[in-house]
Amino acid sequence: MFRLTALRKAALTLTLLVLAAAAITGDYFARDIVAEIATLTILVIALELAAGFGGMVSLAHGAIMGVGAYGYALAGLAGMSAWPASLAGIAAAAIFGGAVGAACARTEGIFFIMATLAFGQMAWAFTFRADALGGDNGLGGIDRPSLPFADSADPLVFALYALSVLVLVILMTVAILRSPFGRSLQAVHENPARAEAIGLPARRIRIAGFTLSSALAGMAGVLAAQHIQFVSPDLMIWTASGEALVVLILGGIGTLAGPVLGAAIFVALKHWAAGFTDHWHLLIGALLILVVLAGGRGLFGQLETRLRHDRD
Amino acid sequence: MTAFWVLQTLNALQYAALLFLISAGLSVSFGLMGFVNLAHGALYMLGAYIGISVSHMFGFWPALVLSPLATACIGAMLHLTLLRRVAKQGPMPQVLVSFGLVFIAVELVRILWGDIPLTLDPPALLSSGVALAGISYPAYRLFVIAMGAALATGLYLGITRTMLGAALRAATENPAAARSIGIRTERLFLGVFTLGAGLAGLGGVMAVPVVSASSSMAVTALIPALIVTVIGGMGSVTGAIAGALIVAVIEVFGAALWPDASAVLVYLVLAAVLILRPQGLLAGTRAA
Repeated sequence: MFRLTALRKAALTLTLLVLAAAAITGDYFARDIVAEIATLTILVIALELAAGFGGMVSLAHGAIMGVGAYGYALAGLAGMSAWPASLAGIAAAAIFGGAVGAACARTEGIFFIMATLAFGQMAWAFTFRADALGGDNGLGGIDRPSLPFADSADPLVFALYALSVLVLVILMTVAILRSPFGRSLQAVHENPARAEAIGLPARRIRIAGFTLSSALAGMAGVLAAQHIQFVSPDLMIWTASGEALVVLILGGIGTLAGPVLGAAIFVALKHWAAGFTDHWHLLIGALLILVVLAGGRGLFGQLETRLRHDRD
Repeated sequence: MTAFWVLQTLNALQYAALLFLISAGLSVSFGLMGFVNLAHGALYMLGAYIGISVSHMFGFWPALVLSPLATACIGAMLHLTLLRRVAKQGPMPQVLVSFGLVFIAVELVRILWGDIPLTLDPPALLSSGVALAGISYPAYRLFVIAMGAALATGLYLGITRTMLGAALRAATENPAAARSIGIRTERLFLGVFTLGAGLAGLGGVMAVPVVSASSSMAVTALIPALIVTVIGGMGSVTGAIAGALIVAVIEVFGAALWPDASAVLVYLVLAAVLILRPQGLLAGTRAA
């Protein structure tokens, strides 16, 4: 069962504060990176809900996020203002993700991973070819939401706005995990047979969990569209889902603090390594293998285990 | 009109042959060890690039032999050092480690061979066209079809008719029982994995004269191979043959007859298979 331990709370707060400080004191690039970290973190938290707590390792989350981004962009181009368009994007992602979850719910383990991969690729292939969606050129001219007392075109304002959305997502995820539904989701993951025996409809709970997770991924998509003000099929390609999975494992699965820490480190590492080498993926690949060989608990998981052993 | 059908059929067969070479290894190591090797596409890519380099030094025919041998060695090394260890840990570590390997392989290729797509001319012997039912079809592509058919037949016979194949089927069906009657399953699995890596490499080097080599191959080749594996049923050579033919026919004829839908068509078929028969069309005839 998920517990927001003092250590997790502290790690979450500290990472968020560091990010906010980086946005406030940093230059244009730092603010841009903070917004990028916030977006990636939301996607990874969405994946954490499905994979870490629900046991459904998805390679469709990049595509689901893309559906959210396209939903927002299309709603905006159709004349909707930013806030209702955001809701439209989130709803589109939830509906698409819910359908994927329902289609894949019968499969398990590796079959689930491959099935989600296929559906994600389908969304990508469709977007890539669809002229109405701009094909591989994508769609531009996307609005940012208007904020009270502040101009969202200002990088600092947008970075802080992105961080607030992230905080909202974290609070929502904690609320979901603590709710009876969240406990059922974790029960179905831990022991499906026993969960069924005490009367939990496992399949329906898995689908609902996947749909909720998709809605969160949709929020990441909406934020990404608002940030870059441009959507393209690149958002949806399966390596985007794979990258989110990498961040989840790097940070530590099932901890909620892990994704936040993981995303911050991942994006920082990416920009730092990209500064001196074109081949930063080499580093990510090696790091990933090391994390798995070290026990797969991730950076935050390692930290937790170490501190627990010290106390014992 | 017949020319169109002959041409598209040959194109489908040629694509199916390449798909089969990638999928056979993926499917069999999948079925045998329950190991999903996302790095299989990377072995295909390495086969293509090593093939190009060897071909520039010694010519195409040596490359056709040496490049699969090289990828087979790489596969064996990966299996012994890394993959065997994570194979028992469940799907998540497998996906992650092989994903990490994809990252590394793609960057290594970019460092060693650069970012520009490379091509390779077919060998002089096969560079002409062959007149066939009113059309001229490149001899090299016919060679690809023939190789694919020969390897498919060879693998099928090897698994169904030889002692080694019988041991393999036993080890897939029930590893514990197979071990208890003296079958050395670990060595068998290593052999199968090495063979699969070699086949991926062979597919890579054979593909270069048809489609040029680029570092995105690792991913673009993996997806159709996974689809073939899922449609055909895992761990089955006949499944890989059937899956490769189905996917190739859908893609080639889809692109020719109904281009608007072709991008999504194959995924729709995959979705239908997953919903109706999640174990794949030919599962149950495992390892045969």
